Amino acid sequence: MTRNYEAVYIFDSTLEDAAINEKLGRFHGLLGTTEQPEVTHWGRRQLAYYIGRRENGYYVVSRFNIDPTVLPEYERAWKLDDGVVRYLITLHEHEVGAPPMSEEELAAQAARRDDDDDDED
Amino acid sequence: MRRPQKSCPFCEGRVRWVDYKDDRTLGRFITDQGKILPSRLSGTCARHQRQLSTAIKRARYLAIIPYLKGHTA
Repeated sequence: MTRNYEAVYIFDSTLEDAAINEKLGRFHGLLGTTEQPEVTHWGRRQLAYYIGRRENGYYVVSRFNIDPTVLPEYERAWKLDDGVVRYLITLHEHEVGAPPMSEEELAAQAARRDDDDDDED
Repeated sequence: MRRPQKSCPFCEGRVRWVDYKDDRTLGRFITDQGKILPSRLSGTCARHQRQLSTAIKRARYLAIIPYLKGHTA
């Protein structure tokens, strides 16, 4: 069974763009999927706090659909790479990209909340 | 005494899931120090407050928002 994941990688900002793309390509190769991950480059941006002596990082967001058994080996590869400052892989099975809630859904949620409030009294 | 009901900003915006990558939205729900704003002050509903706290913690780890504001290392 495959699941949807979203990963955010922070690369060392001193790395060249070509080196970053090469690393991404190499690591995505480990996923062993036929479909290419959906990659979004945020580019270089300032970190909210210093990580070591680094002030900036190169952010990349990618989404992929893989078997969870592949994940430990994939994470290990990221962990061992010196050019990666930080990474976070999360399940992306929620409705981040889903359309906004409809009137009915909103009303149903409000009704549920009112019911809960009544229970408290 | 029961406090007056505030409306949830996420429900009003019809947000289904709070995104940890959206620093502008998350920034509205943290204090000047960088702490998570309680739902009592922001009016966020329980469901979105739970999502928000997870999102803020993820964003902090990724250095999208600071753990502590106004602190220089």
